[in-house]
Amino acid sequence: MKLTPTVLLFFLLPPLLFYLTFVFIPILLSFSTALLDWNGIAQPKWNGLKNYSDLLFHDPLFWITVKRNVVFALFSMSEIPIAFLLAAVLSRYFKNGQRIVAALFFPVILSVVVVGQLWKTIYNPLSRGGLLNHILSLLHLEHLTRAWLADPKVAMYALYLVALWQYLGYHVLIQFTGIQNIPREFQEAATIDGANGYQVIRNIIFPLTMPFFKISFVLAFIGSLQAFDLIMVMTGGGPAHATEVMSTYMYNMSFDSQRYGYGSAIASLLVLFSLLATLILNAFFGRIERRYDLH
Amino acid sequence: MKRARPFRLLLSLFLVGLLLSVSACGSSSGVTADQNKGDKDNGTKVTLVFQNIYPDASATNHKVMKKIVSDYMDAHPNVKIELDSLNIDQQKTKLKTQAASNQLPDIFVVNPSAQMKPYVDAGLLAPLNDMLEQNNLKQTFQPGILDYYTFGGNVYALPDGNNIGVMYYNKKIFDEVGVKPPKDFNELLDVVKKVKNAGYIPVVIAEKETWTGSFLFMNIVLRTNGGPGFLQDVLDGKKTFEDPAFIEAVDKFEQLVETGAFQDGATSYEYVEAESLFHSGQAAMYYMGTWATGGMETATIKDQVGVFPFPLVDGKGSLNHFMLAPGSAFAISANSKHLAEAKDFLNYFMLQWPKINFDMKAAVGLAQNVDGDFQKAGYSQISIDVLDLFKTVQGGDLAFDNTMEPDTAQVHLKAIQKLFIQKEPPEVIAKEHQDAFNRNYRK
Repeated sequence: MKLTPTVLLFFLLPPLLFYLTFVFIPILLSFSTALLDWNGIAQPKWNGLKNYSDLLFHDPLFWITVKRNVVFALFSMSEIPIAFLLAAVLSRYFKNGQRIVAALFFPVILSVVVVGQLWKTIYNPLSRGGLLNHILSLLHLEHLTRAWLADPKVAMYALYLVALWQYLGYHVLIQFTGIQNIPREFQEAATIDGANGYQVIRNIIFPLTMPFFKISFVLAFIGSLQAFDLIMVMTGGGPAHATEVMSTYMYNMSFDSQRYGYGSAIASLLVLFSLLATLILNAFFGRIERRYDLH
Repeated sequence: MKRARPFRLLLSLFLVGLLLSVSACGSSSGVTADQNKGDKDNGTKVTLVFQNIYPDASATNHKVMKKIVSDYMDAHPNVKIELDSLNIDQQKTKLKTQAASNQLPDIFVVNPSAQMKPYVDAGLLAPLNDMLEQNNLKQTFQPGILDYYTFGGNVYALPDGNNIGVMYYNKKIFDEVGVKPPKDFNELLDVVKKVKNAGYIPVVIAEKETWTGSFLFMNIVLRTNGGPGFLQDVLDGKKTFEDPAFIEAVDKFEQLVETGAFQDGATSYEYVEAESLFHSGQAAMYYMGTWATGGMETATIKDQVGVFPFPLVDGKGSLNHFMLAPGSAFAISANSKHLAEAKDFLNYFMLQWPKINFDMKAAVGLAQNVDGDFQKAGYSQISIDVLDLFKTVQGGDLAFDNTMEPDTAQVHLKAIQKLFIQKEPPEVIAKEHQDAFNRNYRK
């Protein structure tokens, strides 16, 4: 079948309509509700840019949540090189690498609620038989045991770790697919020319999987900015805001404090930050790709 | 363009299908009326959507509701009642969303006082005064309880329960450690220490859900204030949060935390998780509303459970004052297309509510008078004890989030949660409260 405009329309229109009604229009609306003083029930009052000015200049908690999101993103991106190395080793030295990739991918298909409950049990205090604390005490590291999710100093890092664990397989899969796409001849030719395993990975595989790096990095960054469900399940943003990130703060403001306008202002900034991050990452990878002449 | 036609047809079919599937998702599962009955009846068929917070099909409240609803539909074949059963948090969020888009169900659940006020102010709730007079429904309610749902002389919702905050305790652990239910705060601290040394959790709490800590904390305020009305005085401008009663309460609460009263990692525990620690005999005490009594009936430790009022604080307060928890309540949408039918149904529902609950052994903590002998009906000792405690009630306070508007309430809830993990000077906590209060009430 030829790809006539009608055919294209047939395939693209339904998802486009979905996208417009459930994503695009609500985002636009949130920019306008952000200008209101509204509890979500009564008649809204016009509030101008006050929500934004309060948020940006008078709300220290907001900037703390932004910082946590950025740290979250940095952590998520830092596992991508590890994922790449794993994928490279698996595709080069293992006959059935895809099986191991499938095993690593398994946590991704688990519901976040399941993952959250699982790790909550692992992080349980020693008195409740928490696995992590139990291992620490077996290693005679009792001074390190703690209630991981209730200690504000470590709770956020405990959450980062769960996300890293869950999404490692995701990035390995992306990198693995990228590596499989490289024609076998390139690697063989390099081997014949006397390149060793490291050199093949460094000079052939790494540059040629660059587009896949870009995908991984963008997904990791945006995913971290939008992190919500895992945090809601495991800590609900607590104790006392210690694990609050932008999206949970937005939710708590809109629905618990019933400040819809303020919540919408957070939501719209979240959208802007995500766009900004995508632009920066795209520009960054554009330069790298030009360096390796992949265009 | 000829070729385009089948595609258009397909596309429109697809979109229609999409719409259907979306609307199918929107309709809720639950009781469906027998089709034949509807055909026999000549009256127009009416569908009422009944949004409720009894989603657990194995729980008694769900069974009671289902029985009343199906009885009603049997007697009124032209009325179909569609249940939209959600858990508490989901229902709160869904109702707010529905209110924002003006698509409220016919009957739904609101919470007393400050929490339902925005709905009343927005004119979304139908006054129920006329309906309360029918079949003497009003007389079934305990005196004064409807005040929490009355605004400007109109009753806007009917409560499913009326509970008080009590301290449940495990008699076996108390005997083993050799302590008695404490009458004063210092005795409580002493009990905490002894229980902790014996290797049990002194007091279990579900502080991931911040209202639990606040409920206990406000009971301390009820004592240090010498009686009810602290928050009302703040609202009326007679007191501030920097009042000595509030400062002392924060200090006492911090002593409780410091003595190690609560389980490790309390701030990550959810309601059911925490309660199971008490049910399984690992914890000595559990501060909760009396709605928890039903759950004790089925726990293995049910014969070991006793109950006592929260102790006095340095002799202040009265053991006859309790944290009051007038229940969530049923309201009818002012814009319901079937206002008369909805009122008729709710009238029947509330008349049956105490009777069916009594039959199903769940009549502890209702807002209505119950006819019947609990002992003879086979209620366990803990239920009888709780009912006896009810008889001693001489007033008290509502929970913080039922008294103050949501933003102030959230600041309060988070501030109390913070006390579980770090000690703060009580003055700082008090100021945090006062700032939030000023921001929301004095703007």
